[in-house]
Amino acid sequence: MRAAAWICLLLPLASTLAITACGTGISRRVAGYVSTLTTFGAFGAALTDFAYLLGENAHARSHVTTSWTWLSAGPYHFGLSLLVDQLSVFMMLVVSGVGSLIVAYSVGYMDGEDEERRYFAYMSLFVFSMLLLVQGGNLILLLAGWGMVGLSSYLLIGYYQERPSAVAAAKKAFVMNAFGDATMALALFLLIEHTGQLDYAGVFAGSPHGGAVANLIALGLLGGAVAKSAQIPLHTWLPDAMEGPTPVSALIHAATMVTAGVYLIARTHVLFENAYVIQDLAAGLGALTLLMAGLIALVQTDIKRVIAYSTMSQIGYMFVGVGLGAYANGLFHLMTHAFFKALLFLAAGIAIHAVSGEQDIHRLRGIGRLMPWTKWAFLAGSLALVGIPPFAGFFSKDSILAAGLDRGWYGYLIFAAGEIGALLTGIYAFRLYFVVFTGEPSAFAREHHHAHHGKEGPFSMLWTVGVLTVLAVGGGFLQFAPVWHPLSDWLAPVARPVAEATNGQEALASALAVGLGVAGIVVAWLLYSARRVPVPRASRILEHKLYWDELYDWIAYYPSDLLSRGLAALVERPVIGGSLGAVTGGFGLGSRELGRAQNGLVRSYALAIACGAAILMVVFLAVR
Amino acid sequence: MAANVIVWIVWIVAAFACIASALAVVSFANPFYSALSLIGNLASLAVLYLLLAGEFVAAGQVLVYGGAVMVMFLFVIAYLGDRTDVSPWTGGPSWQVLGAVAAGGALLTEVLVVIGMKAGGFLSREQHIGRSFGTPARIGQLFLTDHLLAFEVTSIVLLVAAVGGVVLGSHARRAVDDRAEVDARA
Amino acid sequence: MHGPDVTAYVILGALLFAIGALGVMIRRSPLIILLSVEIMLNASNLLLIAFSRLHGHEDGQIFAISVMAVAASEVVVGLGLIVAMGRRQIDLDVDKLRTLRG
Repeated sequence: MRAAAWICLLLPLASTLAITACGTGISRRVAGYVSTLTTFGAFGAALTDFAYLLGENAHARSHVTTSWTWLSAGPYHFGLSLLVDQLSVFMMLVVSGVGSLIVAYSVGYMDGEDEERRYFAYMSLFVFSMLLLVQGGNLILLLAGWGMVGLSSYLLIGYYQERPSAVAAAKKAFVMNAFGDATMALALFLLIEHTGQLDYAGVFAGSPHGGAVANLIALGLLGGAVAKSAQIPLHTWLPDAMEGPTPVSALIHAATMVTAGVYLIARTHVLFENAYVIQDLAAGLGALTLLMAGLIALVQTDIKRVIAYSTMSQIGYMFVGVGLGAYANGLFHLMTHAFFKALLFLAAGIAIHAVSGEQDIHRLRGIGRLMPWTKWAFLAGSLALVGIPPFAGFFSKDSILAAGLDRGWYGYLIFAAGEIGALLTGIYAFRLYFVVFTGEPSAFAREHHHAHHGKEGPFSMLWTVGVLTVLAVGGGFLQFAPVWHPLSDWLAPVARPVAEATNGQEALASALAVGLGVAGIVVAWLLYSARRVPVPRASRILEHKLYWDELYDWIAYYPSDLLSRGLAALVERPVIGGSLGAVTGGFGLGSRELGRAQNGLVRSYALAIACGAAILMVVFLAVR
Repeated sequence: MAANVIVWIVWIVAAFACIASALAVVSFANPFYSALSLIGNLASLAVLYLLLAGEFVAAGQVLVYGGAVMVMFLFVIAYLGDRTDVSPWTGGPSWQVLGAVAAGGALLTEVLVVIGMKAGGFLSREQHIGRSFGTPARIGQLFLTDHLLAFEVTSIVLLVAAVGGVVLGSHARRAVDDRAEVDARA
Repeated sequence: MHGPDVTAYVILGALLFAIGALGVMIRRSPLIILLSVEIMLNASNLLLIAFSRLHGHEDGQIFAISVMAVAASEVVVGLGLIVAMGRRQIDLDVDKLRTLRG
């Protein structure tokens, strides 16, 4: 089992190193196959570990395997250790499973790109980093994985290097994530100071209960989670991150990396429970984000950006889940969301690929008529997103909302927000579906659509989307809260839920959510399909994404620009540049003046000797 | 008592002559006058040596310095003709002159201070000397026994100087011949 | 014989030495500079002999005789140089003799 854990982690790393080392020596196809096969291999190793754990007693399923002491400084020792327990195996399966499907899809999507090898090396690097994050046995390895997924995200968003917008988006993502990394590091410093170690068991046992320090630690971790998962206030990078290729958006910015924040809170839930104020704050941020993102998604015109805001909104639901203490529910939604969001992205990717890169929904109007299989796949994903039974989202989202009913007045507030969010989800998701995939094809779509050898797309893209469709339809049956809940039972020893809804509350939540979701679909149908009601004009605030970008410009960009300009003018040019000039000038002056003593006149030399002798005599007398 | 007074008078006269002639050497514009002043300096020094019971040295001073060295000087000055230098005290004080006076004064003070500090106690303890102190016999004896090396080395130095003088003189002659050749060709 | 003790000779010698140094630093003709060097050498001779008298030992006088011999040799060489310069019609002014700048 230990070997399987290490193999799962190291296979993608080996792939990255191999592709990088071989460079142009291997063909692009081969690079794609290497990356895909190693990710599938990692999935296989994760399955092996899962099988092992199944065979063990529920309370003895936590294994730490350490290869060597990685960092040793004074009384602090950090090992290179992997943790294999219920939660990490769950995440390993999701990451490697969905990851391998998406990497396989990329083989077809990226075919013909200039530098596929670089792409696949980066993808394998990302899978490795994400696995390190979820498998890390102590917080330092988690932080290492955290930073590396940020790096992979930067590399992959900026994959189209010639596009300045892509480069700018990559920088934006990285900088905002760096902010979160910093707050996490501060939290880790506090933990080391108070507990002297960073492995999970020791930290959970030794961290303080309540008080300012506990709040600070949880706040630091929350900062990192918020940055990585694109919640308010560090969310502005996610829509821009759509500059990357569509499989990247699917894998990193939908299925796995942005869910790392949810995993973090679930893993370190003890620390959050010690600072319940911060945990409630996490739930509140999630609720705010899901509402805001839903509103903004109503007016977006780029198909990927709609799905991106949808991701932001759904992660808000996950934050609500773990923030209220319903860890298993939040993680279940993480899994189902991975399925249907990846499906949505990849199906959209087939459409985008077929029209050579166009992403505007009005131009893509009606393309569903030309690509029927894609349309059905997209429909399945959308229904799962809205949470219509029996699709996957229904099972996971509703149990999160029900947990809100178990937490007093604050929980009721969040419950209300979540239900409104369900309505919004219905509207924007089906706005997208009705506009893009139904109705008459637009002139643009008809003109630019080209089939791939008579099929809708390359085979690698089609079969992976098919698998994801099956998962999006059937994946929810893993857990139906009132009746059977193997997932909650599986995760309970690791993350005991704090909020558990009764069956009645579950029913109420489900009924309301489904009803509102259907209402949203109807509204979208009236507006965009049947055209019975004219589309209301979007307010300018929504179109400008609630002016968050402008706010950050004012807070962060303009002051630092001013500061750097001021420093350049006041410090760099005169002081540093001037000092260089002063040094050279000083040397020149000194040597010129000293040079005047060498005039060739014997008399001045004689005078110099006499003066020197006089001075030396005084010196010798004084020294004695 | 009378002998003491005479010694003092002789000493004072000789000392004054010494200083005055030294200043004259430094001050005269005409090198001939400077050389003559130096002869006066040497003579007064010889008197002082006699007062210090150094008969041989005094004689050597007059014979060697005054008789040989100064004669050489006068020959050269006569040979070179009228090369009057400017007196250093004309033209107002320049940096060089002021610096030189200062340096000279400093050296003077320091030498006195050093000797006063280091040997102040000894200066009053004059030894008694015998009748043979400083006689040629005694000097010769020392040269050939205790200070034989100095004697021999000094003779080598004199040889080297003589050779050097000859070489310098001959070089000058060859240069004159070369120049005569160049002039003839042009 | 009595007379002034060694201190007076020391002062006199130091004064002579200073005057000689002054001459070296002030004068521009190499001939006069050479004469000033002779004054300095004589000053040190005077001191040697005075201290020799103080110690009751002739070592100082021996030293003074060697100094005289060396001074004579040095004057030979110096005058040879000056004569050589004079033959080439070079201006006997140390301020003008600066080609060996260093």
